[in-house]
Amino acid sequence: MSVWEIVELARHPDRPYSLDYIRRLAPDFIELHGDRLSADDPALVGGIGTWHRRTTMFLGHQKGRSLKERVARNWGMMHPEGYRKALRLAHHAAKFGFPIVSLIDTPGAYPGAGAEERGIAAAIAQAIMEWFRIPVPIVAAVIGEGGSGGALGMGVADRVIMLENSIYSVASPEAAASIVWRDNSRKVEAAEQLQLTSREIVGMGVVEEVVPEPKGSASADYDAAARALDEALWRHMKPLLDEPSAQLLQHRHDRFRYIDSLIQAEPHFGPKID
Amino acid sequence: MIAENPHREVAIQGSRLPDILLPTNCPGCGIALDVNELREHNFVCTQCGHHFRLGADVWISLIADSGTWQERWTDVRSHDLLNWTVPKRYQETVETLLEEGLNEAVRTGTCTLGGRPIWLAAFDFGFVGGTLSIVAGERLARGMEQATSSGIPYVLVSASGGARMQEGVLALMQLAKVNAAVGGMHAAGVPYISVLTDPTFGGTAASLALLGDINIAEPGAAIGFTGPRVIKQATYADLPPGFQSAEFQLAHGQVDMVVPRTELRPLLAHLLEMYL
Repeated sequence: MSVWEIVELARHPDRPYSLDYIRRLAPDFIELHGDRLSADDPALVGGIGTWHRRTTMFLGHQKGRSLKERVARNWGMMHPEGYRKALRLAHHAAKFGFPIVSLIDTPGAYPGAGAEERGIAAAIAQAIMEWFRIPVPIVAAVIGEGGSGGALGMGVADRVIMLENSIYSVASPEAAASIVWRDNSRKVEAAEQLQLTSREIVGMGVVEEVVPEPKGSASADYDAAARALDEALWRHMKPLLDEPSAQLLQHRHDRFRYIDSLIQAEPHFGPKID
Repeated sequence: MIAENPHREVAIQGSRLPDILLPTNCPGCGIALDVNELREHNFVCTQCGHHFRLGADVWISLIADSGTWQERWTDVRSHDLLNWTVPKRYQETVETLLEEGLNEAVRTGTCTLGGRPIWLAAFDFGFVGGTLSIVAGERLARGMEQATSSGIPYVLVSASGGARMQEGVLALMQLAKVNAAVGGMHAAGVPYISVLTDPTFGGTAASLALLGDINIAEPGAAIGFTGPRVIKQATYADLPPGFQSAEFQLAHGQVDMVVPRTELRPLLAHLLEMYL
């Protein structure tokens, strides 16, 4: 399969979205809404459900299925209110000791004027910083598109895994082409350069595991895809539940502080900290 | 008795500023530029107040007390980890810039400002658009960690297009790495002053640049997450004049103040006094 074919699979309109997984993982899922400041961002769903006999906080980008729903959910592109809602629910989870599962599936944060006016950059910055202080276990999974800061804003976790045909990138191939060549039609070339497939990302040490998808990709069999995701998420979550929170936060910090350690170990990177 | 600002006498630059590349006429008002006059005014047009973009070397001279700059981790080097070849080999891009005397998109070290020790980090827009790279992120995180353990205030000057495409997802991860370090400073009560200059966008705005205890923007600086070209492409929106300017960000609650570069240094000296 070519890199571009993987990008297309990751974005496929028949691919299972966050709610397809969450409702299979926790059939009693109850959605919670709103940032308690001004709005509810439908591009990010959040709520509680019973997962492996524990109340768990689920968060996930949600793309729409029908055109109407896609518009309502803004194609899974969050506004500032979405990041504020996510943090509210994270603090809620911390209050009750609920573990957090975060499903990532977004082209990026919304690149629109309204998002800028309401402080999208600071909202993402705040979220990324705040996740390091949430004293309950967090496991994140990239289930489709992991686009840029919009994805990382939901992706600071104790473990991060990726579905086989998902992508994770510093920018969407279109945005990267637009930045590098000022020509977003060179997206295929950009995708090849960016090394955004799950195999490449796991090779860089940025995620812990690639979760194999059923034959014909996750789109072909939602139940099998959900079973595979459930098994991997739980395998990563289970040991975290016993970690004291101070240790959990230290490990989360170290995971991102030294995430490029494979690169830093290269001799041409230069001397270590003096 | 009303206290007087003890720092109104602090010089507007720490030492004589190095040369920068200048057009013959000001892009703001068209007046013919006098290099030496401009240099004495921190490269702010004396006629219209246009703020010229400065490299990291100029910022260091502007902020640090003369002779106090001690740069750190200068020998940490970027290299091509994705085999990036188009439109140009990344390795070649980096090596050319190093030969031109630039040393990555962020330089950091210690100095004093008005006699008080600080950690200083300055982005260099001339190095691949001031993009956040592994080296830049590493220098920022190390400096912040040392500021945290020593309790020395941290001053950042940003000018950046965001995360560096040529380092892929590992460049994106620098946002998390650096924000973890910012969180450390906040937890330890270390004052963090962020100076946002033209332009500050993308991953840099969405990480450390807007997380200062005090965010100071330069007049007219463009600051935002998504650049105007991409917003227009994605949404076909007409953007009003002044969209994403420093003044726009002040009005929208993202920065504490917009301060001309000629007043910056005495202000920083005064803030350092108040926060210590």
